[in-house]
Amino acid sequence: MVDWGYTINKPRAIAYDANDHTWENALQEAVPVLRSCIGCGNCTATCTAGNFVPFNIRKLQTLVRRGEYAGLRKELDKCMLCGKCRLVCPRGINTRKMIVTLKRLLAQPVAAGIPVAPGAASTAGQR
Amino acid sequence: MHTSDMNTHFDPFVIPFTLGVIYLFAVVVWRYVKWFAELPEADRRAFRHALFTVRSLKAVREVVEEALLHKSILRVNPLLWYMHLSFALGWFLLIVIGKFETSAYLKEAFNPPHVHVFFRYFYPEEPFRFHRGFNYAFLMDAVLLFILSGVALAWFKRLRASWLGMKKTTKHTRGDRMALAALWVVFPARLLAESATCGIHQTGDFLTHSTGMALAGMVGPDALRMMELPAWWIYSLALGMFFVAMPYSRYMHIFTEVPHIFLRHYGIRGGDKPGSADNFQIQACSRCGVCIDPCQLQSAAAMNDVQSVYFLRDRRYGLLTDPVADNCLMCGRCETRCPVHIDLNRLRLNSRTARAEKAVPLTDDRYAYLRGEDRSEGTGKVGYFAGCMTLLSAPVMTAMQRIFDAAGEEVWWADKAGGVCCGRPLKLSGETDAARRLMDYNKALFEKHGITTLVTSCPICLKVFREDYHLEGIEVIHHSQYFLRLLEAGRLKLKASGATLTYHDPCELGRGLGIYDEPRAVLARLGTLAEPKQTKKHALCCGGSVANFVLNSQQENRIATDAAAVYAATGAETLVTACPQCKSTFRRNSALPVSDLAEAVAAALEVPASAHRIPAAAGRTAAPAAS
Ligand code: SF4
Ligand code: SF4
Ligand code: SF4
Ligand code: SF4
Repeated sequence: MVDWGYTINKPRAIAYDANDHTWENALQEAVPVLRSCIGCGNCTATCTAGNFVPFNIRKLQTLVRRGEYAGLRKELDKCMLCGKCRLVCPRGINTRKMIVTLKRLLAQPVAAGIPVAPGAASTAGQR
Repeated sequence: MHTSDMNTHFDPFVIPFTLGVIYLFAVVVWRYVKWFAELPEADRRAFRHALFTVRSLKAVREVVEEALLHKSILRVNPLLWYMHLSFALGWFLLIVIGKFETSAYLKEAFNPPHVHVFFRYFYPEEPFRFHRGFNYAFLMDAVLLFILSGVALAWFKRLRASWLGMKKTTKHTRGDRMALAALWVVFPARLLAESATCGIHQTGDFLTHSTGMALAGMVGPDALRMMELPAWWIYSLALGMFFVAMPYSRYMHIFTEVPHIFLRHYGIRGGDKPGSADNFQIQACSRCGVCIDPCQLQSAAAMNDVQSVYFLRDRRYGLLTDPVADNCLMCGRCETRCPVHIDLNRLRLNSRTARAEKAVPLTDDRYAYLRGEDRSEGTGKVGYFAGCMTLLSAPVMTAMQRIFDAAGEEVWWADKAGGVCCGRPLKLSGETDAARRLMDYNKALFEKHGITTLVTSCPICLKVFREDYHLEGIEVIHHSQYFLRLLEAGRLKLKASGATLTYHDPCELGRGLGIYDEPRAVLARLGTLAEPKQTKKHALCCGGSVANFVLNSQQENRIATDAAAVYAATGAETLVTACPQCKSTFRRNSALPVSDLAEAVAAALEVPASAHRIPAAAGRTAAPAAS
């Protein structure tokens, strides 16, 4: 069978209310225009890092906006901050600002219970 | 009246001044010694080696020209220059002439500083011409008047900054306000005190004699006698207050500009990471505000607190915030105008480095996924690195292919099928060490393929290749330079269209690397070049800089629209640039069609020369049909 590079996400429940929204709120505040993201995936499709390694910036920020931070540090480390994603975003979202903001949030004292270690929500194979 | 004081040269009112002077010099010496001791050993060695060379003489010359005469400010605005000159040169002369006057009169070489500062009080009956016909009283009056005219201008500047050629004037901290208040009082207080003394004794020269007599006429001799001592107290207190506030104010630059100039001449200027050399630069800023007007964040995006002057102020007092550190295009427009030659881009960058080192730990497996990757294509001594942004511009890639084919060049394509970022955008965020990993990857790739020339279309890549890669045996050139070489060697034939073109100097290419002429020389073979109002060193930034981590797209677009209008005003038909990032930003905001230099050259190609020039090239990918 031809491998088109698509896979289907396994069904899972999002415990939105149970999640910690500290970083999510901080991110939305720093980059309010992120709310206008249409999830088109242009950013991921053009990604320099994603050309070498499974890395999905669209998915990453979507997860953060739901308060899901698992594996964030490890994923963010893949990005080269090249800025291609910003140029192709149809909503003009400053994705580099988004990424830098996330990195800094990671350095701040975290609210209890935020799993920042690499874990469940790996973006592997879901480009 | 002052006979008893004449021998001891003392009166209690000199105490505030004397304490101020002692405090000031203690603080200044302590700081400089500390900063110097904290310099890296290599810098200190460089300092020792350079000390007794001609470089010191050049530094002395610059100290006179800049710290005293402020020649660079003259180029910005004559009135502003006069104001700075009157304070710097005026005060300097007041001290030097005052010293000579005192020593000549007392016939002794050394005496404590307060003696010449308060000379007129201690020796009110000094004759008009007492020393070989040298009229010190006249000179001192003239200098005082010179300074007072500067004070008047400073008041005026507060009110109408624009009259001094500046749209915005700088904001102040508490130390500044104290020092400034004292400074504004110092010279009028000196005039008042000297006038009182001269009025009582009917001495003084054209200024102090006239004001003294006027004063005596106004208040009468008795009141004048009562006023005299308080006036000298005010003068001394103002001086003392100024000296105490000075180390905590912008006036610290008065002294610091001197070591700063010497260090610059010795090539000691700090690096990508914060270091002690930065102290001298940061404190050398006079907060003249010359850097405010050229900043497009101010003129086009209405951001008024992020310019270099504010950045330096905040960093100096440990108040630097991310929004200020991050909100800069690093366009270098301010740096080229700074009269003190402070490395504004480097300082902005290394404060980001300090921030990133705390926030983003560098793990061992960062970018480990790149190990063993090589997606390059082709073989040749000439390598081409498109760069991330160029890869997004298919027309530029096609144009490069056509030009290489036309010239019959064998090319090694480093990143046609997707490469690794050059590392500069990451470096600009402050992650210097992580960026080094990307640089090491690319460097190894270039060396592996044995190229001798590396051509890139992206000035951002070009800058980092030249400054950080340390590529030995590989010459790195911009595509504009490459085109010019091909043209001069007769390897490319272009048909001039006769169209009027205007050229945008990309910041990293122009101010960043000093490449202004080659793109113009290429364009001259294509059509007529129409220069915009601000060009070359003073060219505008497109607004899309990867160095800025704050602007949203609307703000970027505002800057770009503003700049695009300047190009449209030339009456040209096309705006040509030589950077994929500028092209992309302008395309969204320019009334004129925008193209990269590569596209302009490819469109003017006469015949794909490759077919008959180098037969071996025929087997390779054929050039796309000329359109
Ligand atoms: S390109 Fe922009 S709009 Fe599309 S998914 Fe990415 S961030 Fe969202
Ligand atoms: S900035 Fe990061 S996420 Fe965006 S395209 Fe470049 S590597 Fe990918
Ligand atoms: S950075 Fe330079 S131009 Fe700006 S205020 Fe300081 S000395 Fe003046
Ligand atoms: S480098 Fe450019 S954007 Fe930054 S402060 Fe200077 S003029 Fe403004």
